[in-house]
Amino acid sequence: MTASIVASQTYAASLKGTRATLRRTLFWCGVLLLLLVAAVLLTALVGSESLPAKESLCALLSGGRATCGLTAEQSAILFEIRLPRILLAAAVGASLASAGAGYQSLLRNPLAEPYLLGISNGAAVGTMVALVFFGSVEWSRPVMAFAGALLASLAVYQLARGRAGASPERMILAGVIVTTFLSSAIVFITTMMDATRVRSFTFWLLGDLSGATSRLLVVAIIVAIAGSLLLTAFARPLNLLMLGERDAFDLGVEVGRVRIVVFLVAGMLVGTSVASSGSVGYVGLVVPHLVRLSLGSDNRITIPAAGLSGALFVVVADTLARTVIAPRELPVGAITALIGAPLFIYLLRRG
Amino acid sequence: LSARIQKNSLAHLLAAILLLAVVCCFLSCSRSSNAPQTEKSATREVVDEAGRRLRVPTRVERIVSLAPNLTEIVYAVGAGERLVGDTEYCNFPAEATHVAKVGDTLHPSVERIIALRPQVVLVSTASQLESFTKELAEHQITVYVTDPHDLEGVFQSVRNLGELCGETTTAEDLIKKLRARTSAVEKAVGSAKVVRVFYQLSDRPLYTAGRESFTTDLIRRAGGVSVTADVPGAWPRYSDESALASQPEAIILPTGGSMSSGNGAAADPFKKSPAVLAGRVYKINEDHLNRPGPRLVDGLEELAHVLHPESFKQ
Repeated sequence: MTASIVASQTYAASLKGTRATLRRTLFWCGVLLLLLVAAVLLTALVGSESLPAKESLCALLSGGRATCGLTAEQSAILFEIRLPRILLAAAVGASLASAGAGYQSLLRNPLAEPYLLGISNGAAVGTMVALVFFGSVEWSRPVMAFAGALLASLAVYQLARGRAGASPERMILAGVIVTTFLSSAIVFITTMMDATRVRSFTFWLLGDLSGATSRLLVVAIIVAIAGSLLLTAFARPLNLLMLGERDAFDLGVEVGRVRIVVFLVAGMLVGTSVASSGSVGYVGLVVPHLVRLSLGSDNRITIPAAGLSGALFVVVADTLARTVIAPRELPVGAITALIGAPLFIYLLRRG
Repeated sequence: LSARIQKNSLAHLLAAILLLAVVCCFLSCSRSSNAPQTEKSATREVVDEAGRRLRVPTRVERIVSLAPNLTEIVYAVGAGERLVGDTEYCNFPAEATHVAKVGDTLHPSVERIIALRPQVVLVSTASQLESFTKELAEHQITVYVTDPHDLEGVFQSVRNLGELCGETTTAEDLIKKLRARTSAVEKAVGSAKVVRVFYQLSDRPLYTAGRESFTTDLIRRAGGVSVTADVPGAWPRYSDESALASQPEAIILPTGGSMSSGNGAAADPFKKSPAVLAGRVYKINEDHLNRPGPRLVDGLEELAHVLHPESFKQ
């Protein structure tokens, strides 16, 4: 016991003092939070319909209590369509990025990402099953998506696990297998459905933030905040896990328990965001990487900072999705992949 | 378990129907192949609606249709008995359901098409054309593309397919009747105030009819104007806030036909639109509105009746 405490302290010391880390975390999270609030307010001013900027900002800052000279129609656009969608984008981005950061530490794999590992597809299959079998029960979707995400992540983990633990290469191969298997399941389910629903599904599968109901939005926001905070609470054992499961165990980390909690929380984060908006790819990969590049790889700062940056990223991406070909729309997943894939190649090449 | 048994027996039934269809087809083949054997080499040139020059037999005997509207046109010009294959969506006229099925419009089985030995395969838009034509061309099967963007284009399709099948007179008679009904509608609504219409193809996500869709023309002829008439594309995905801002006076929900489940109510952004406030949300059989065939005129009449009930009071 004492030995493990000493060992973890030496490890923590190598990262910097605890108080200094806390101060640094709070500082950067504060900066990112301010940026996020600014982004939410600014992106609420643009859309396929043009609204007067000054009046809209005034109405937004009053929290909807003052009309600030907006017509009923304009404030309906602002508060019933744009703002909920932007908040959903933020929730989805935060969920995916913090879940990505969690998976990457837990699996000791820089490429672990909900979309690439097939976890998003698992959640998508869960959502589709819920839609086909319990179409009228709204809460069945996030629940089934959570179940699907959890099953897919456990499948990848079990497939990748060799005698010497899960190597990054095995993990990615397992992810490819699970992804392709679940993609076929998705194709199978869509083929069984009628044409109108197929069309809406193909749009949703690429990530679509327009469809969420207000209840699902509330669930997504609560899960995003609670899930990111929970993962942050496990930042220290996750830091130690990056040394390897064996070493972490020797340092006193209850590896099994941490693994279960992280799988559950990350599965919940991915499940809820897929149920509300489909598969938005690359967020969980690119955002934690950028955060690590700029703020270092201490999870106590990486996880919360990734959550906030992910929110920022998807809010901006969705603003592009709903404005570039207005009044038509693009799926937001197309935008995040268009930005994310080249960025990721750049990161890979930099080493 | 009982569901599985039901599914199984359904599969058997389907298999039996298919088998029956194949047998019927063989019977009819052997019947027809006796007579016009001599004309086998006789061909003529036609130009399809994509502007491609095609060689077809002088008398086309074996047709596969890959879209329900084309199946309807083939029957309407009196060539229905020459249809040897169609899609799972082809449910009108009732006889069309007994024709051998080659899959649905988006995923037809090329194998099955080839096995049916058609002389012409009818396709409804230029989509997927390339992969089809190559494979089918190797088997001397011609692909004929139709691509109507308005009601006039639909009449042209009727004329073209009539010519293709050698049923010019029937086709011209049909067009004459359809034109008469169309101008009756246009005359009835001619002086009425134009109604601003939103055409809700599906509610979530929100799809509508755009600039290139024949629906836009249909709404105009029915005494309305589509609020999305200038949106590029035929069936664009439409922004929720633009939908809210469009403030339509009437909303049309094509529903209850072969394709959809749902689309039963106006989408959320419309909840305070003049259309919803005035109760002017109308469900119309989607098979009359979304199939650019002869029944599009039925759709036109239904559309005009809901947009301008006052014009049809006697």
